[in-house]
Amino acid sequence: MTIASDLIRGHTDTIILARLMGEDNYGYEINKSIQQKTDGKYELKEATLYTAFRRLEGAGCISSYWGDEQTGARRRYYKITDKGRDTYATLIEEWASAKSMIDKLIEAQDISLERKG
Amino acid sequence: MQYRIREHVEELFEDTPPTKKAVELQEEMIQNLNDKYNDLVSGGKTPEAAYNITVAGIGDIGGLLSQVQSESIEMEEYMVENEMGRQKSALFTAVSVMLYILSPLALIVMAIFGSGNVARVGIPVMFVMVALATGLLIYNSMTKPKYYKKDDTMVEEFREWQADTQGKRGLRKAISSALWTVIVCAYFVISFLTFAWHVTWIIFLVGAAIEAFINIAYTIKK
Repeated sequence: MTIASDLIRGHTDTIILARLMGEDNYGYEINKSIQQKTDGKYELKEATLYTAFRRLEGAGCISSYWGDEQTGARRRYYKITDKGRDTYATLIEEWASAKSMIDKLIEAQDISLERKG
Repeated sequence: MQYRIREHVEELFEDTPPTKKAVELQEEMIQNLNDKYNDLVSGGKTPEAAYNITVAGIGDIGGLLSQVQSESIEMEEYMVENEMGRQKSALFTAVSVMLYILSPLALIVMAIFGSGNVARVGIPVMFVMVALATGLLIYNSMTKPKYYKKDDTMVEEFREWQADTQGKRGLRKAISSALWTVIVCAYFVISFLTFAWHVTWIIFLVGAAIEAFINIAYTIKK
């Protein structure tokens, strides 16, 4: 995990909400899709994942229920709430504006151009 | 190898009190880790390697567990509070029972010493005391802390139901005991004043009818 995982960690909530926008899902499947999307470069620790679930559930952004698997262990599924959808939209907006600001801020100034101008 | 995953997780949860939330989290983790392990094995990893990757992926769950634990401590504090409420409630009940018993005292004392003010002083004193005691009992049953579900287990549901029915029964008991005290007093007062002992016993029948009506009203309201 050489990529800036600290940077990604600050967006754990957004990432999980994004994975639930489509359909209800359970812990491992959510983490697996995160892993696949990043070509195996990033995956959440179990600890981070469940802490985020509890935080999001406490904030009313997601709700959980136990699945009714006929065989094997029952899975705990998470479902995004309306509030969760609103929160997701806000987080995406915030990220977009932060991203454009950071892009501008980290752009190196072309000294030769400025001298000419 | 899967029992090793379970063992490992159970070890991690060893010091956490087994509340419903903690047990659910533990089961959820075991199930997800097993899924991961199975995926890795079917992807060509050896069981040993798959186990190691799975367990290494858990990370530090110390913070998560202390969150779960602090929730169960909150619940203990709540129960201590509840205990204090119970003591207060017992005191109220004791005082009101005492008031009921003492309420005809003035009347009796005056009747014994043959004072002429039996009706003018003794009866009002008695009724004030009965009213006070009834007020206390009703206030007590209405301010009794309602038991709210802390957790949606069966035990919690039972406790809520129990507290609920006890609260209703408590208020009804208070009303009923006040009613009968008043009836007994009315019987003696009216009988002493009118000396119509041969008819006044009807008061008890009237009392029973009133109580029956109160019960009906209660059942309908429910």
